[in-house]
Amino acid sequence: MKALLKRDHWPLWVVLSVMALALILPAILPWTYDQIDWDAVRAPAFSGSHIFGTDEIGRDRLARLAAGTQVTLMVAIAAALVSLVVGIAWGATAGWVGGKVDEAMMRFVDALYALPFMFIVILLMVIFGRSILLVFVGIGLVEWLTMARVVRGQVMALKQRPFILAAEAAGSPPLTIILKHILPNIAGVALAYLMLTVPQVVMVESFLSFLGLGVQEPLTSLGILVKEGADDMDMTPLGLLLPGGLLVLLLVCLTIEGERLRDTYS
Amino acid sequence: MSIYEIRDMAIEIDGKRLVEGVNITVEAGKCTAIIGTSGSGKSLSCLTPFGLTSGVAQGSITLDGIDLIRADAHQMQEARSRLTGFVFQQPLTALTPHLTIGAQLQEAAAQAGSSRLSRHELAQRLDRVGLSRADERLDQFPHRLSGGERQRVMIAAAIAHEPKLLIADEPTSALDASLRGEIMALLDELRLERGLAMLLVSHDLASVEGHADHLIVMDQGRVVESGPTASLITNPQEEYTKRLIAATARLDEPAPQLQAVGDILLETEAVTVTFPRPGWRRGKIKAVTDTSLHVREGEALAIVGGSGSGKSTLGKAIAGIGPLTSGTISWQGQPLPKRRARTVAMRALIQPVFQDPVASLDPQWKVRDIVAEPVKNLQPEILRKDRDAIVLKALEDVELGEEYLDRMPTSLSGGQAQRVAIARAIIASPQLLVLDEATSALDPLVGSSILQLLRKLQQANNLSIIFITHDIASARRLCHRIAVLDEGVVVEMGDMDSVISNPTAVTTQKLIAAS
Repeated sequence: MKALLKRDHWPLWVVLSVMALALILPAILPWTYDQIDWDAVRAPAFSGSHIFGTDEIGRDRLARLAAGTQVTLMVAIAAALVSLVVGIAWGATAGWVGGKVDEAMMRFVDALYALPFMFIVILLMVIFGRSILLVFVGIGLVEWLTMARVVRGQVMALKQRPFILAAEAAGSPPLTIILKHILPNIAGVALAYLMLTVPQVVMVESFLSFLGLGVQEPLTSLGILVKEGADDMDMTPLGLLLPGGLLVLLLVCLTIEGERLRDTYS
Repeated sequence: MSIYEIRDMAIEIDGKRLVEGVNITVEAGKCTAIIGTSGSGKSLSCLTPFGLTSGVAQGSITLDGIDLIRADAHQMQEARSRLTGFVFQQPLTALTPHLTIGAQLQEAAAQAGSSRLSRHELAQRLDRVGLSRADERLDQFPHRLSGGERQRVMIAAAIAHEPKLLIADEPTSALDASLRGEIMALLDELRLERGLAMLLVSHDLASVEGHADHLIVMDQGRVVESGPTASLITNPQEEYTKRLIAATARLDEPAPQLQAVGDILLETEAVTVTFPRPGWRRGKIKAVTDTSLHVREGEALAIVGGSGSGKSTLGKAIAGIGPLTSGTISWQGQPLPKRRARTVAMRALIQPVFQDPVASLDPQWKVRDIVAEPVKNLQPEILRKDRDAIVLKALEDVELGEEYLDRMPTSLSGGQAQRVAIARAIIASPQLLVLDEATSALDPLVGSSILQLLRKLQQANNLSIIFITHDIASARRLCHRIAVLDEGVVVEMGDMDSVISNPTAVTTQKLIAAS
C-alpha cells in the first residue's frame, strides 16, 4: 500500500478522483439524474444551472454522467470482487488438491471459457427479463475464470516450495497453510489481475448496456449514456463525447495500473 | 614457460574497484586454480581481461606475448578466439539450442579461423572428449544430451581450435556429483596431452586440489594467498586459507568421534514412491523402489546419491511431507500413517531442513512467527508472550540473538536463514532431523559452520539425523552409516568407513572419486 502512495501512480489517482466526483456531484447539483427540466430540453452547455446542458428530454447531463459513472464503477468493483473470491477459492482448491480433482475442476473452467458469453447473457435476459442482478451474474460468470487459472498456477508452484513443506512438517493443518502461507504469497498477483479485471468488467457492462441489455431506465450507466449520445450525435456531439471520453479515460487508467502491478508481481 | 601472466591487476565496474592486486601465472601444461566464495571476484578476474564482463582491467596482462590491456580490437579477437578456449558452468545455456552438436563444433572451429573440418575430423574431436557413438552425436541437438555429455561437447568446442590457454569457470559445479571426477580427469588428460595452460575457477577446494599445480585463494576481491597446491594445503600461512582448508571435508582426514547409538527409532520397509507421468500419457515414474533402512537413536545416516537418484523423495516420504506409494515407515515399531493422516505429535518427531534456506522460510513472515509455527500447532495453549521465550531459546541454540526476532527472511544471509530453519526444526523437540542437502547451497565456510552446529545439537539432544547429500566427504564428518542410492534403489549400505574404504557399487566408487 505504501508503494502505491509513494510512486507516481497517477492513473490510480485519476480513477479515484473520478470516483469521488461521481459520489459527491449528485449531492451538490440542483438536478437529479431522472429529473426533467421542462424549460430546458436539449439545452446547450453552460445554460443556466446545466453545466453540460441537458439531453433530449431535458435531464441534466452532468447529473446523469455522475449517476452513470457510479453504476458502472459499482458493477465493475462488485463483479471484480466476486470474481476474486470465486476465482481464488476455485483456483486454490484445484491447485492444492491436485490430481483428478484438479483435472475435473479445470476442465469445467475450460468448458465455461468455450461458451459464447454474449449469447448466454442474452438468453438469460430473455428468460428472466432485464435486471441489474442479471448483469452481475452474467459478468461474474465469466470473469472469475482467468483468476481461477492464475491462482491455480501460483498455488501449484508454491505448493512445492520448501516453506510450505516445512509448515506441513510443523503440523499446520491444510486450511491454515492455505490461508496463512499461500494466500499472502499470491496476494500480489491476485491484486494485479483484479486491477486488470475491473476495466474488463467496465467494458462488458458498457457493451451490455449499449445493446440495451444492461441496467434499466431511468437508472443509467456509462454504456447507456454512450448509446443515447450516439443516437443523437449529429445534433449534440457533447452527449457522446462526455460519457465516451470518461469511459476511455477510466479504461486506460485502470489498464495501465493493472499492467504495472502485474509486471511488479510476475 | 608462462603462457598467461597477470601482474597487479585491478578491476573497476562503474568506478567501483572490485578487484585489486591480483597476480596470476599460468604455465604451459600446468593448471592454476582460483578458489573463493561467491562474490570474491574470482570469475571477474578470469573473464575481464578478455572483455567478457562490464569491468575495466588495469595492470599488466600478457597472453602469449600479446599485451591484453593495450591490445587493439584485432589482437583482442585473436587472443580471445584463437589463443583461448572457455568452458562455463552451465553446459545447457552455453550451447545454442537450435544447432546440432556438429554445427556447434564447426562454428567454434571456424571462429578461430581454421578451415572447414570434415565430418570425420569432427567425430574424432568428440571421440577425444570421451563421447561414445561420436558420429551419431554430430546430428543430435543439445537437449538430447545429458549434462555431463553437454559439458564434454563444450570442452570439445573449447579445444577445437587448439588454444594455448583454457579457462574453465566452475566447469563441474552444475554437474551431478558422480560426473565431476570424470570431467576433471578429462581436463587433466587434455592438458597434459596438448601442453595446454589451464586456469580453473572454483568455489570448492576439494574438487580442484587433486588437479591444480598452483592455487590462488581469493576473498573480497583480493588475493589472500597463493602458492603451489601441495605446500599451500599442508602449510597455509593466512588465517582465511586455514579456515577454508579446515572447512573442506576430505575423505582422508581422520574419522570423527561420533556419539554412541541406541535402539532403532525409525525403520522403513520396502518403501516405494511412484509418480504418474505428467499429462495424459499413461505410466508411472518410479522415484524410489523397495527401500528398507533404519535409523537408531542418536545415529546419523547419510543417504547419498546423484541428482535424480530419489534421495530427496525418500527423505520427504520419511518426514511425511511427500507421497508414499507402498511400504511402511515405522517409529519404534509402530507404523506411521501416510502423509495427511499424521498427527501433530507424530510430525513433531521428524523435522526436515531443506537445501535452499531462503526458500524454506515464508517471505511474508517474521523470523519470530516462522520459528514459533510448530509451537503454535504443538502446544496451542501457550500464550503469545510466553511463546517468545521459547522462540528465543531456540534461536540461542542455533547461535542467533534476540535482534533476529523481527527480521524478515529476505534480509537474512544464506547461513543465517539456514540457522532460522534449523531453529524451527528443533523447537518442536524432534528426535529425528531429515537434512535435505542442508549445507550444499551454502559457501564452504558457512556450510561447515552449519555442519558443526548440527553436530553440537545432535550431541546435546541425542538427535538422530538423516543427512541427504551428494558429498560423501562432508557426510563422513557427521554420519555413522551410509546408504548409497542410484535410480531409486539402495545399491550399497553400511558403516561409513567400511563403505568408503571398500566400495562395491559403481555409483559409490564414482561418488568417492568425485570427493
